[in-house]
Amino acid sequence: MSTDAILFWILAFMTVSSALTVVLITNPIYCALSLALTMVGVSALFVTLNAYFLAGVQMIVYAGAVLVLFVMVLMLFDLKHELQAFTRGKMTGALKLASIGLLAGLIAGAILMSNGILLTKSEAFTSPDMASDTTKQLGHLIFSQYLFGFEALGVLLMVVAVGAVALSRSKGGTHAKS
Amino acid sequence: MPNLDFLTEVGLTHYLILSAVIFCIGMAGVLLRRNAIVILMSIELMLNGVNITFVAFSSYLGKMEGQIMVFFVLTIAAAEAAVGLALAVAIFKRFKEVNIRFFENLKG
Repeated sequence: MSTDAILFWILAFMTVSSALTVVLITNPIYCALSLALTMVGVSALFVTLNAYFLAGVQMIVYAGAVLVLFVMVLMLFDLKHELQAFTRGKMTGALKLASIGLLAGLIAGAILMSNGILLTKSEAFTSPDMASDTTKQLGHLIFSQYLFGFEALGVLLMVVAVGAVALSRSKGGTHAKS
Repeated sequence: MPNLDFLTEVGLTHYLILSAVIFCIGMAGVLLRRNAIVILMSIELMLNGVNITFVAFSSYLGKMEGQIMVFFVLTIAAAEAAVGLALAVAIFKRFKEVNIRFFENLKG
């Protein structure tokens, strides 16, 4: 068994178990912390796929910024255990679980059916010079071919930063008393 | 001796199945949980599942466009989390609760 396979299985187990913890634990703070663990696992998976820049960005943006935002808001609310963390009604719950199972089966079936098609092309990958150079290629692509999208993202982040502050300062919107 | 190739030879299929599992866990969270913030976290899980698919395909086909898409998705996800949490704060001020059971009558 190669080290790649061992690493993949450890990371996959860590990511899936912490993702399950996010959904199943009733205390939201623990949910946020295990979401952080999931993000770290996903970032490590990016490293195994030679996407080093994205792994770093994933760590900084998710584990650094978004998770801190989540934890700050949770601290602001001071929520303890939820009284009703999960959906009510056995019938609707069973229906939702069945639809999730159906989706999972569909995706797994599609992936397994396409197995032969997908694996034929995979030999082209992991020439070492291409693997070490992905960050440079990414930078070239972003600042040449996808420059407009990149600038639009900048505008979007600006609008969102202003909008988030305005939203959280609003006095209840249409529900305003006075 | 059973065939252990599935365990020892990690390929594109493994990453795709892992991302599908994470996506389905996130979808289960969105459907089953009632806390608005945990629903936002589950949406982040779904986005991460999709990101793994993008990076796996980009890496196995040797094309960089997938990683560009992941870069965009990361930024949009951060923006979405910021707006969602601001909405949650605004709603919490009004209802003193973030359970989505109370949001049924949002129309004034």
